[in-house]
Amino acid sequence: MTTLPLAAPPVDPVTCALCGFEYTPGGDSCRERGCPIAFGTCATRHCPNCGYTMPDEQKSSTLGFLRRLLGRREPMAVGTVAELPTGTRGVVARLEGDPELLTRLTAQGFAPGVAVHLLQRSPTYVIEMGETTIALERRVAEAIVLHDPDGRG
Amino acid sequence: MAGASSTIVSKGIGGGVRPSTERLRRVVLLGNPNVGKSALFNALTGLRATVSNYPGTTVEVARGRLPGTDTEVIDSPGLNSILPLSEDEGVTWDLVRDVRDAPGSVVVQVADAKNLRRALLLTLQLGQLEVPSVLVLNMSDEAEARGIRIDREGLEGALGIPVRTTVATRGLGIAEVSTALAEARHPRNHLPLPEDLAGPALALLADGVAPASAGPGLLARYHEALLGHADSLAGRFATEGEPAGRALSRRLGRLAVHPVWGWPILVGILFAVYQFVGVLGAGTLVDLLETRFFGGVVSPLAIALFAPIPWAPVRDLFVGEYGLVTMGLSYGLAIVLPIVTTFFVAFSILEDSGYLPRLAVMTDRVFKVMGLNGKAVLPMVLGLGCDTMATLTTRILTTRKERLLATLLLALGVPCSAQLGVILAMLAVVPLSAAAVWFVAVAGVMVTVGWLAARVLPGQRGDFVVELPPMRLPALGNVLSKTVARVEWYLKEALPLFLLGTLVLFTLDAFRLLDAVIRAGRPLVTGILGLPADASAAFLIGFLRRDFAATRLFDMSRAGALDTVQLVVAMVTITLFIPCIANVFVIAKERGWRTAARIAAFVFPVAFAVGGLVRVVMLGLGMGG
Repeated sequence: MTTLPLAAPPVDPVTCALCGFEYTPGGDSCRERGCPIAFGTCATRHCPNCGYTMPDEQKSSTLGFLRRLLGRREPMAVGTVAELPTGTRGVVARLEGDPELLTRLTAQGFAPGVAVHLLQRSPTYVIEMGETTIALERRVAEAIVLHDPDGRG
Repeated sequence: MAGASSTIVSKGIGGGVRPSTERLRRVVLLGNPNVGKSALFNALTGLRATVSNYPGTTVEVARGRLPGTDTEVIDSPGLNSILPLSEDEGVTWDLVRDVRDAPGSVVVQVADAKNLRRALLLTLQLGQLEVPSVLVLNMSDEAEARGIRIDREGLEGALGIPVRTTVATRGLGIAEVSTALAEARHPRNHLPLPEDLAGPALALLADGVAPASAGPGLLARYHEALLGHADSLAGRFATEGEPAGRALSRRLGRLAVHPVWGWPILVGILFAVYQFVGVLGAGTLVDLLETRFFGGVVSPLAIALFAPIPWAPVRDLFVGEYGLVTMGLSYGLAIVLPIVTTFFVAFSILEDSGYLPRLAVMTDRVFKVMGLNGKAVLPMVLGLGCDTMATLTTRILTTRKERLLATLLLALGVPCSAQLGVILAMLAVVPLSAAAVWFVAVAGVMVTVGWLAARVLPGQRGDFVVELPPMRLPALGNVLSKTVARVEWYLKEALPLFLLGTLVLFTLDAFRLLDAVIRAGRPLVTGILGLPADASAAFLIGFLRRDFAATRLFDMSRAGALDTVQLVVAMVTITLFIPCIANVFVIAKERGWRTAARIAAFVFPVAFAVGGLVRVVMLGLGMGG
């Protein structure tokens, strides 16, 4: 989560909690306003309309730590292993991503129909798959798409 | 251990698929990581090779012979697919193709009996390659304890190859494996692969390159198809086991990567290693060997031995100030040996316990700043033992960029055990704050250079995917034999260079050239670093080995020639100094001469610049007192 992005990922627009203005945080909007800390690592967002500051909870590792410490978990929709709640199981539906990564994952035994058990997400993701325990980073976890547990997917 | 039968030679290969009167010439062991390949290798050959617990240690292929025969046994690095995905897996790929093409060779596939499904992926590939094979289900005791039942004969029937069960660490079932070698044949390969996959997959296996028409996802789809067959085979011939058979090992393994508890465990392990290597090895043992043994016994004995020789130059060559015995041997054997030995004992324990991949998990984020991922911790930690060995281990990293970055950082800032021990011993005599300066300077340079290089160098960071083997209690015999092998390797490499370095100093001194060197080095050594001019000699031999230079400086500091600031500056500079000659050769071998030259040209000025900077900062902070 503290990694510097290789290429700027798409940023979703946010709504200012104070004035309700919708804007796209970061990047050019920060630099245009001449913000001196407009690097990739700034973890706050400023509403260009009213100037109200909001924390970027995705970016701040401190907030992430506090959240883990206090045990509050956001409800998550099951899609990929990256979104699987800690301590739960899922069944692999398919693998998505760059061919080289997929080659590696399939060689490790990942394939559709295999059950995985997410043990933890930090410092890296750790999953159990049968007899094998594997540590992987978020961008790899995102490549492993799971079946919807309710059987809808 | 001596279970390997000598009757193999007379039997030859009696296989039905490839009838041959050729003698058995070569046995190649292969399998997934952590299945006990090296243990089986040891049991088969009676020899000891490096037994590894994480993917990638057996970077260099271990060789031995079946007792009483001239059949060669080769241990290969662990792999998950026969098709090479990284540099070190290419070694196995070449070995397998050799077996396919040379009559009289067989593959022994070693499998974890608890994880038949993953092993069968490899078996099926061996079948498609038509490689004569024997399947060995190792760790069958653990499988049994977990309630996993395998229908061995059923599996033999389905695969069409001999299947044997072993407990390699206890030597059980080894004789059966030896006799089965004669019956090796290629696993059955009538797999109903989808049509668009079968052709390209066979072409891929035939020459290792996917046909352009197949598209980029071929290998992954091929693996998936094989895994499907492996699943059905495993389902037919093996029962599912209880998952909770190794409660303590599991809990320890989980704690070691816990986001909170992982850190105290890491610090505790570091502290224990420091106590063992830094305090026991570099302190007590060095003192014992150097002061008592060399200072009290060997050197006086040598001096007495050479005393009758009338020519002073000859006497000095052996026992003078730069004498081969009094300096070369005593540095190499008395100061470096105990440190290197204790380090490799500690490293082997960590390696066999299964902790190192967990360390990779804990340090992943730090390495990401440097354009690497947690996997790079393995070569870095090994580098604390020997940078040359570690440079070879960078092959486990998946992209070219990562391998280059790791090689650079190893050459720049990772002190090898000999050097580290000497540095720790020196730092033990300075205030803690001064020791902290050394650490911050070296770590800061590593992170900064890594961060910058990661941005300048082209290429990508590889994905972090690391298998975590179960935590195990290391076997003492294994740890010791590995340590012996590594120390032997180290001594063979280091001791001649120590003697050569001593000889260079002696020659320079004899021809009154040393003073010239010291004068020439004065602007750098005294001007920038503020060290006594004598230290030039240490940096000169630093070109041969950094640890030799560190030892020389250690000697100077004990003689009271260096104050605190000078000591720290000297240590920072020598830590960052050019790697030893052997390391430069290995960098050249692995990455080409141009890269080696560039790294050397980069490291040298950085070392002196940072050393000078540390001096200025320390004096500025008033740490000179």
